[in-house]
Amino acid sequence: MKIPEQITRLGMLLAGVLAAVLLLRFVILPADMFSAAPHQAAKAVREMAKPVHYAGMPACRECHADIYDTKSAGGHRYMGCENCHGAAAAHASDPATGNPPLPSEREFCYACHAFDPSRPNGFPQIEPTEHRAGKKCIRCHDPHDPVPPSAPSDCSGCHGVIAKTKATSSHATVECAACHEVPEQHFTSPRAALPTKPAGRESCGQCHGSDATDSGAPRVDLASHGDSYQCWQCHYPHAPEMTR
Amino acid sequence: MNIDTNQALFEQLAHQLGQVAGFIYPNEVEIQWAILIVVYPYITGIVAGAFILASLVKVFNVVEVQPIYRLALLTALAFMLIAGMPLNLHLGHPERSYEIFLTPQPTSAMAMFGFVYLWYLMAVLLLEVWFEYRAQFILMAQQTRGFMGKLYRVLSLFSNDVSPQALAFDKKASKLITIIGIPSAFLLHGYVGFIFGSIKANPWWSSVLMPIVFLMSAIVSGIAMVIIVYTIISLVRNEKVDMRCLDKVGLFLLVAIIVDFALEALDYIHRMYQAEESIEILGELISNKLFTSLVILQVLVGMFVPLAILAFARIRHLNDDLRKLMYFVSALLLQVGIFGMRWNVVIGGQLYSKSYRGLMAYKMELTGIESLGMALVLLALPFIILAVLVRLLPTQPMAGQPPAAH
Repeated sequence: MKIPEQITRLGMLLAGVLAAVLLLRFVILPADMFSAAPHQAAKAVREMAKPVHYAGMPACRECHADIYDTKSAGGHRYMGCENCHGAAAAHASDPATGNPPLPSEREFCYACHAFDPSRPNGFPQIEPTEHRAGKKCIRCHDPHDPVPPSAPSDCSGCHGVIAKTKATSSHATVECAACHEVPEQHFTSPRAALPTKPAGRESCGQCHGSDATDSGAPRVDLASHGDSYQCWQCHYPHAPEMTR
Repeated sequence: MNIDTNQALFEQLAHQLGQVAGFIYPNEVEIQWAILIVVYPYITGIVAGAFILASLVKVFNVVEVQPIYRLALLTALAFMLIAGMPLNLHLGHPERSYEIFLTPQPTSAMAMFGFVYLWYLMAVLLLEVWFEYRAQFILMAQQTRGFMGKLYRVLSLFSNDVSPQALAFDKKASKLITIIGIPSAFLLHGYVGFIFGSIKANPWWSSVLMPIVFLMSAIVSGIAMVIIVYTIISLVRNEKVDMRCLDKVGLFLLVAIIVDFALEALDYIHRMYQAEESIEILGELISNKLFTSLVILQVLVGMFVPLAILAFARIRHLNDDLRKLMYFVSALLLQVGIFGMRWNVVIGGQLYSKSYRGLMAYKMELTGIESLGMALVLLALPFIILAVLVRLLPTQPMAGQPPAAH
């Protein structure tokens, strides 16, 4: 059978391209062009050539062991020294070059502690305009062991989102302690002793049961209302209007 | 990086930081995949869509579409030649682009792009164009003198067999290449969707439907682009538009939009019904950051309006000129919609924090490598290439040459 002309032409073209590629690959171009290793090595060299700015916590510890120990036991234990004091490699290699900065302005602490509803629940947050406005944070709080000088007077000190949500709901006047038993230790060591949460329907029934004495709250018959679900499965206790 | 660049970057990041809402991680403020990564799937989509329109003629023997077969093929080729450029410019080192072939990385979908691209360009598009035009190249080489004559001679690879057997072989080969080309076009654009759909850490992207959604929207944008090009070329050449062809293409476009819309709606319904932990931030994303580009531009202007126009054009017996105008307008709106879809996927996926608690902002630059200006240049280039191609390669078979399809 005769091979069609098209196949011959394309075949010749393809063979030419293939030959050129093979020639380039195996004869002309050096073998190390086909390895990623030189790229990786060159990248390592590039990275190593960059100046080192940060010394790291172990370097700080060598001279400032007392501060390091205080910090390691406190709420800022997972913060690096240079997070607040800035890059200190120069200072660590030669203390005579000067001391790292000591940030003392309120705005510096706002970066983590100004109220933001998207921060995790229980994370210490303040309203900058309401909380000791104008005073420097470090006058009351030791940054290396940032325990509040006195236990927070109310729950909103740490549970800002819940407090703000509750304040606009029909539960605004209900005290936190009406539903949660809060151990005294929770105010000074929050994670060591957690408050209780209402376990059953009876807790809500104190105000919302048909035999409750509170005059204003909506009443339901606990025996028949909502089958066997817990109240919070349908009603968010901190804003009961936000019913799912 | 010099001080000026540092300063500019600093100013840009400071501006973006000011627009952040809620809580984000520190490395999220800079949008890494910007406008050029929006342009890339948009252009590739047109390639795949235009090719699939062309394949209707070759594989499925849709006779009505024959008048725009060559134009669809050339549109696919013109856009294909530019498809890799947004990526090259985005990466910032076009001089290293050949390395993608020197050090292949089979476990990375992105690193395989070079081969997907090369396969589609060389083994599908160029081969099909060559078989389609070979006989015509020979005729034109005989009829034209000087440089152009020589050029056509080279383009025909010095072939000179125009016997009925050779022409029959061209048709057969062309059909075979199209049969291989359809899954290849699916691969090319399904691959683009796969790049996004496989990023499991980003719930806006991570969806098995992503490749098929990209593919259907590619078909929509490709068909619409061929309608635009065909209408404009007919206008410029003062030729009569083949309304039988345009009606048929309009029908395919209508079906493609409906399937595309169904798939995208399915994707959204599925997300809403699953209501995974990301659903709330995605809701915020849609109602805040993407409201204009998604709800208004992509869905309303870019999908519902053209859908209504195309359906109206089919249902009512309207005159040719009005139908032509309606097809043209809906094709233009569809380009807006599909570009919006690419924007919403690429930029949208980077506008919300992986903490699910914050939204970021994207500030597009006007000039520079990754900028609006560059995007406009890249979007204009395929049309310039196409203008050259249609001059060089006639969109209709020459007199005396049988049409290639059947």
